[in-house]
Amino acid sequence: MYQTEYAKKAVESGGLTTVAVRGSDSVCLVTQRKVEDKLVDAASMTRMFKVTPKIGCVVTGLIADGRSLVAQARQEAFNFEYQNGYAIPCSYLARRVADIAQVNTQHAGRRVMAVDMIFCSIDDEAGAQLYHVDPAGHYHGYRATAAGSKFQEAVSLLEKKDTDSMDLETTIQTAIMTLQTTVSADFKPEEIEVAIVQSGSGFSLLEDAEVEEHLTAIAERD
Amino acid sequence: MLPVEWSGEEWTGLDGAPGIVYDLGCNIYSPDGRVFQIEYAAKAVENSGALIGLKCKDGVIIGAEKLMPSRLLMESSGRRVHPVGMHAGIAFTGYAADGRPVVNAARQEVENYHDYYGVDMPPHTLAERLGHYFHAYTTYGGYRPFGLTTMVTSFDEVTQEPFLHMIDPSGTQFRFHGAAAGKSKQAAKTEIEKLNLKALTCAEALKRISLIIHTIREEEKDKPFVLEAGWITADTDWKFQLVPKNLRDEAFEWGKAEFDKMDDDDDDDED
Repeated sequence: MYQTEYAKKAVESGGLTTVAVRGSDSVCLVTQRKVEDKLVDAASMTRMFKVTPKIGCVVTGLIADGRSLVAQARQEAFNFEYQNGYAIPCSYLARRVADIAQVNTQHAGRRVMAVDMIFCSIDDEAGAQLYHVDPAGHYHGYRATAAGSKFQEAVSLLEKKDTDSMDLETTIQTAIMTLQTTVSADFKPEEIEVAIVQSGSGFSLLEDAEVEEHLTAIAERD
Repeated sequence: MLPVEWSGEEWTGLDGAPGIVYDLGCNIYSPDGRVFQIEYAAKAVENSGALIGLKCKDGVIIGAEKLMPSRLLMESSGRRVHPVGMHAGIAFTGYAADGRPVVNAARQEVENYHDYYGVDMPPHTLAERLGHYFHAYTTYGGYRPFGLTTMVTSFDEVTQEPFLHMIDPSGTQFRFHGAAAGKSKQAAKTEIEKLNLKALTCAEALKRISLIIHTIREEEKDKPFVLEAGWITADTDWKFQLVPKNLRDEAFEWGKAEFDKMDDDDDDDED
């Protein structure tokens, strides 16, 4: 199906890469942030979204398509909780978003959404969760995953790591370090967005100061 | 039959021209991942009058260059800047006919929100809704995208300040300190970056917008324009107000005079 291939091309040609790592009791999402326009209010240029207080996602690809899917994901999550009386599990949310993505590939006259969405949460029963949905409507659970222009390189690096036993700090630093190596950059806090979800608390974005601490720790280790 | 042939890998025009089939609808990506229909919609904006929005010290102002193709047209017709509810305003540039449904949709949204929640729609929500609205029209083969870039300014009850958002034909929207769209938007952005927005009042910004528009106009030196503007400031009690005609006329004349002066100075330098 060429259109899904071309849509994936669109994701890659955005020039940005995202890395996500699932540790033993936390998940970390890291993505590049390039604000080239001085006149933009940089706080509004975010690709991290809270779908529910406990489930977050990062969008890689065409941001308008991504925002649309996030809005639909939020709707799905709300409907689930309303119908069933308990919060939607991350795996089910990912499946619903994947179904929405799939419909676009099968209906004539519809356009495939050019976004890779990576969802994370801490599930009451199953622990740390990380799911990746692609434009074709494929979705899988992962221990670590990547998306965007350099996702292949990132994935090769991640495959070598044993993430299951990582604590929060290691999870975050592994994610950031992988992204740094993949795009061959020495990040400043403003150049990346880092979000985490850990047992006991919901999905949240790290402040620049916290990101700085992790970057320093990584640099000192090298 | 379409003038295309299959190269074995992709469709091309009869003389090898690329992309000839991939622009047939919004539902088609090209092999390099572009949606041509959205790019063409952006072209419609590029050929249209300038739109400039500034978040200043005491509020937000949006100014539009409304080109008047004929002297028979009434100045007030073909409005580009519209109030949306009491606390928000919208301005657009591009394919003007597309502006009307967008303004109507925005007004519906704001009214519904107020009916439902009892408070004014927050700026980021209004911008997000407009973004989704624009985006929806880029996802179906049977529709075309809006040929508009829209700026919306709206007052936030929580933080007690107005904000400026801009939405492009793809539905992408961001919040801005300063924004420009339309013809010569690069030149306009360069001029905006020279301004110290944190120290500028809206009244002063109105004049600056007039000067920027006069400066960036080139080939259209012959086609007259009307300066339309709207603002949300402390003076308007944080309601969206269309800038009164006398102030706009003043700003227009000031901008013209300043530009003529700069132009003369340039000519003198050349001598």
